[in-house]
Amino acid sequence: MRETFVVMRRELVSYFVSPIAYVFGALMLGVLLYYSTEVTLVQGARASLDGFFQWLPFLLLFFVPALTMRLWAEERKLGTLELLMTFPVTIRQLVLGKFAAAVVYLALLLVLTLGLPITLGAYGKLDWPPVLGSYLASLLFASSFVAVGMFWSSLTRDQIIAMLAAMVSLFVLYQLGNPQNVEYANEWMPAWLVDVVSSISPHRYFVSIARGVLDSSHLVYFLCFCGFFLHANALVLQARRQRG
Amino acid sequence: MIEVDRLEKSYGLARALKGISFTVQKGEVLGFLGPNGAGKSTTMKILTGYLLPTDGRASVAGHDVVAESLQVRRRIGYLPESTPLYGEMRVDDYLRFCADIRGVPRGKRTAAIARAVELCGLSRVTGKNIVELSKGFKQRVGLAQAIVHEPDVLILDEPTSGLDPNQIVEVRKLIEKLGSEHTVILSTHYLQEVEKSCTRVIIVNQGKIVADGTQASLLAQSPQGALLLTVRGPEASVLKQFHELLPAGTPVVVTARSGSSLDLRVEVPAGSVPIDEALARLVVKNGWDLLGLARERASLEDVFRRLTLASEPEAAHA
Repeated sequence: MRETFVVMRRELVSYFVSPIAYVFGALMLGVLLYYSTEVTLVQGARASLDGFFQWLPFLLLFFVPALTMRLWAEERKLGTLELLMTFPVTIRQLVLGKFAAAVVYLALLLVLTLGLPITLGAYGKLDWPPVLGSYLASLLFASSFVAVGMFWSSLTRDQIIAMLAAMVSLFVLYQLGNPQNVEYANEWMPAWLVDVVSSISPHRYFVSIARGVLDSSHLVYFLCFCGFFLHANALVLQARRQRG
Repeated sequence: MIEVDRLEKSYGLARALKGISFTVQKGEVLGFLGPNGAGKSTTMKILTGYLLPTDGRASVAGHDVVAESLQVRRRIGYLPESTPLYGEMRVDDYLRFCADIRGVPRGKRTAAIARAVELCGLSRVTGKNIVELSKGFKQRVGLAQAIVHEPDVLILDEPTSGLDPNQIVEVRKLIEKLGSEHTVILSTHYLQEVEKSCTRVIIVNQGKIVADGTQASLLAQSPQGALLLTVRGPEASVLKQFHELLPAGTPVVVTARSGSSLDLRVEVPAGSVPIDEALARLVVKNGWDLLGLARERASLEDVFRRLTLASEPEAAHA
């Protein structure tokens, strides 16, 4: 636990001492707020965050891979991974520490977008509990993307490849849960198969929880999803110790 | 302190270590010598727990490097080849991170960092970002990182490679200082480094140990150094007389002539009785002048070259 925390803290510090955290954060917040305020404030007259949560998954698709691509690839390229792996910490602690740092960073970005609902609440009647539920869901959703991106980063020392692979796989996952695709697939595939395949996609759960419906099964899903990729990540690192 | 028993490591089909065994006692400073690709780094990576061996065992302070990897890693300070550091961090932040992750208790942390900074001469740069430092200072940060938790064993992979001569001298001094408190294994290409700072030398070549001992014992294995003489006398008869005195087949080479004096190099065969006195007497008896007599010192370099080049043809067939 302590080791995980130390790894996480160093990782977070390295986000904020370099321009990455600021440039990345400003860019993501700018794009997100621009599009979502347009949808919520200009087009719609209702006080709701639908536009915001509609745009978020799509943005995360591009931004999370850019954030996670360096997590292992850079350490491997610089050789710092070798030193890191000779510290008295387990691979699991390293993986969790890095994962936690990225999640904390994204949580911070989400907190910074709270200005939007606060503004809405000031001018109209905003139903807060579902909004906060949606925020929590967004964080879970973003975490699942981090787990996928980190996994790809552990497989290569080339950051661009890590980013592209993460984007493609997240895009595929996104499409698997896209309601339109599900509807289309239902026409020519057995319903149970469609159900199984689409239930892999984090997007399927995001759609429902973004409306403020947070089920414990969703929580279990995200835990399993992240757990799967983080475990795979640890196995990759372990295999490299074996192979050299 | 360190026991290595028939350690083997293969990278795919390439066998990097072919059964290496050695032990290191507490307080020893062991120099690991060998050409590139001999298996020095691989051995170190296994001892530090970064790589797993294919076969064989190794232990540090009684803990197996595979089964009790965390125990071993707590007792080791490691400086990998090429000194990887987080450039964007400040020196003091980085050392604090290293102390924390190695479990230096909070109460002792400040003192531990201060000690490492002091030992490595980093006090002027603690507030700087690592990326701004010169190569020599980066190397010192790498060393400070390795000693901040006061490990029993220090493992340094080519700690002076890529430094300029002044920096090399500084880092070497530092290693000597550290050697008085820690058990050290260091790998290097520089033979002077071993001659200066190591109490023991292991030479590896192609995944095997080809020599293990103190410098003196390794030098004793090598042929005696050649004798260098400067004689004033007629060349033909000098050479004739020399050949008569020396065992048959001993090479005598005239390396230089100036006026009537000759510089001669006599290769003394290994294990023969000392002959410098006899040669001196011969020169005087013939009425020539003996202007100089010196013995070429056998160096570790000779031993190294002889041991690592001898097996080269074998490699060509492998």
